[in-house]
Amino acid sequence: MAYEIIIATTMAIAVLFALSLNVITGFCGQISLGHAAFYGIGAYTGALLTKAGLPLIAALAPAALSAGAIGFVVGLASLRVRHDFLAITTMGVSFLFVGVVRKQDVLGGEIGISGIPAAEFGRPGLLALAVGCAVVFALLALHIRRSWMGFAFESIADDEDTARILGIDVPRFKLWAFVIGTAGAGVAGALYAHNVRYIGPDSFGFVESVTVLAMVIVGGIGSVWGVVLAAAVLSVLPLWFQVIDDYKLLMYGALLFLAMRFMPDGVAGQVARWWAASRRGR
Amino acid sequence: MSALLSVAGVSVRFGGVAAVDDVSLEVGADQLLGIIGPNGAGKTTLMRAITGLVRPQAGRVRLAGEDITDWSVDRRVRAGLALGQQIVRPLRSQTLAANVALAAGKRHMASPLAALSHRKRDAEMARARELLAFVGIADAAEAFPGEVPLGYLKYLEVARALALQPRLLLLDEPLAGLNQAEASAMADLIATLASGGRSVLLIEHNLREVVRTCPVLYVQDQGRRLAFGDSDEVMADPRVRSAYLGGEAA
Amino acid sequence: MLFAELVVQGVVQGAIYALIALGLTLVYGLLRILHVAHAALFTLGGYVGVLVTNHTGSLTLALGAAMLGVGVLGMVVYRLAYRPLLERPPFVALIASIGLFIAAEEVYRIVFGSFGLSFVSPPLQQQVDIGGGILLSQARIAVVAMAVGFLALLAWLSGHTRTGVAWRATVTDPKMAESCGIDIEKVRYLNFFIGSALAAAAGVMVALLNNLVEPTMGAVPSYKALAIIVLGGLGSVRGTLLAALALGVIESFGTVYAGHLLDRDALAFAFLIAVLMLRPQGLLRGA
Repeated sequence: MAYEIIIATTMAIAVLFALSLNVITGFCGQISLGHAAFYGIGAYTGALLTKAGLPLIAALAPAALSAGAIGFVVGLASLRVRHDFLAITTMGVSFLFVGVVRKQDVLGGEIGISGIPAAEFGRPGLLALAVGCAVVFALLALHIRRSWMGFAFESIADDEDTARILGIDVPRFKLWAFVIGTAGAGVAGALYAHNVRYIGPDSFGFVESVTVLAMVIVGGIGSVWGVVLAAAVLSVLPLWFQVIDDYKLLMYGALLFLAMRFMPDGVAGQVARWWAASRRGR
Repeated sequence: MSALLSVAGVSVRFGGVAAVDDVSLEVGADQLLGIIGPNGAGKTTLMRAITGLVRPQAGRVRLAGEDITDWSVDRRVRAGLALGQQIVRPLRSQTLAANVALAAGKRHMASPLAALSHRKRDAEMARARELLAFVGIADAAEAFPGEVPLGYLKYLEVARALALQPRLLLLDEPLAGLNQAEASAMADLIATLASGGRSVLLIEHNLREVVRTCPVLYVQDQGRRLAFGDSDEVMADPRVRSAYLGGEAA
Repeated sequence: MLFAELVVQGVVQGAIYALIALGLTLVYGLLRILHVAHAALFTLGGYVGVLVTNHTGSLTLALGAAMLGVGVLGMVVYRLAYRPLLERPPFVALIASIGLFIAAEEVYRIVFGSFGLSFVSPPLQQQVDIGGGILLSQARIAVVAMAVGFLALLAWLSGHTRTGVAWRATVTDPKMAESCGIDIEKVRYLNFFIGSALAAAAGVMVALLNNLVEPTMGAVPSYKALAIIVLGGLGSVRGTLLAALALGVIESFGTVYAGHLLDRDALAFAFLIAVLMLRPQGLLRGA
């Protein structure tokens, strides 16, 4: 039973993490290859605070704040670059984060931080907390998409210059997307740190950034339920593949490639197309 | 009483070339001003300087007495400017009605927090349908921009600009790409827009329609103001004639 | 003499970066695709180089085989992976490319083993004094010579042959070239062939420098080459070469003087971000 609870917690955290990127990349159209850095900032903040004696529940807000604050700064810098330049800049953020953490003794350097205290309310409690956070964030995401903020995000994702001509303060809206998304990643990171109870710089590198982006894109960029589904499945897929351990990364890579090659709109896009086809068929 | 729009000594240079050279002009309330000039005269650059898409190296732009020279495009739009572009730029992921509704909801976009706390779009969608009907493309309200012909998108630009409830509407070659009958209909529509406190700046190549509809003309040649005044007088000006003939010949 | 040594080291590293990044920038210039899987072809070049050298004893033959084989494979990758995705938003091809790269690394691991391969008797290992008491292995000299040679050859071909002129016109302005009757599709295949062959050559040389090829050899070049082409202004060949050289030199100095603050990779990206903040379009604007 304990193992299943850890798996379920992993899934819930992945869902929260992917949904947070979906606000930036899916809703607002700003591609990010460095989202794991904010996951890492949340994880380190949370771990240091609970090691200092704070209960986990009290460490979540600081984790969100620190990740969101750095997210604001990175967002500010990102306003200067667009499209592929933005993708590579955010990729740089990913490497900078890992590079900085490696050299900081306070953060455990190369070795990382171990002995992170267990959540005060036990494993099932942590699962409930993770699921709760994911649900709250999913509801927030749904609200954003239906609000005028979501409308503004969609227009920015579609064509930034036109959005400006329609009176939308593009930089401010982009910054909001960055802050909401990175703060969400911070919470996910703090939860992750207490789920695995050991963190090191390599847990938040470029590969993790790509993995979470893959969840968003395979799910269907901008779709809330598609991303939830993809994050839940892709986060535990490597565990299921344990049986064929030697081939698990091969399967993962091949799956990413095949999904994009044959289903470029993601799960949500594919389902929408089937739905449209079946209605036309009737 | 100060003018609605005042352009004072504006110059825009690209590299060493002056696309707009020390230009001044004023637009009053309820006025329809036609901006004409030969190809490459810098008319579009002048309009881009007014909307904020390019920054002039010299001169000031004022809207209703307020200096907007250093404002961003979106801030100018929220203050009462609207632009219909020469090359149509619809949001391809949105229906025509949603394109217009987004503009009609301008007041929600003043701050992200306000945008986050508003969900209803009914009023704006209703307003969008009205405007689409007003410009005559109500039948395509639920279509996507990729599914309608260019003529529709030209009208969409106008409807979307109107939805911003501008005090000053700038239209960059709205007749380009339309056939003669369509162009006439569009020009007739534009002629009705300069009213109720709204002024219109019309940049056009189609001289016939401009002269027919615009009471006041501004002529630019090689970045400089050549003439500015009643359209009959301007068109009678020999310098305008020679600039045009010279321009066409080149 | 430390200064001169660091410059020389940087130039050698820069030459390797240049060989890898050139193919990437050619692909980007024409297709607007960030071709991460390019680094998998680089790794494969290393494997072919080691295997053929060990079997035949000839490094030249190995280099030729690697360039030809990997070049052709590059065209296959374009045909099967990218061509069907050209009409899609760019991140679709990017994720597909990342998937392909991960899968390829795994294939190498499964086929060639996870510990990597080495030369039985590594060629070109003799140290040469290049003046000022700086010793450099023949292999390092060969890397620089090869980069210069191939680039000069390409420059000459693109100026003096019919195909070359068409190729250059297309890389500069694809739409214009198409309206002039150039077969864009052919140029794309050519681009993938040349770019992949150069990456393979770089793979052989890196294998020689380290006397090792391993499945993850492409991991660092995969993203660093992306950084280089962005730094160079995306699609600009001259910018890419400049950026490759600059990054090589900055890394070699940075690891000595700022190594206690940031590791090598982070240093490269700190430089990248700093440049992009000042020049959001890269060092030279893409032509």
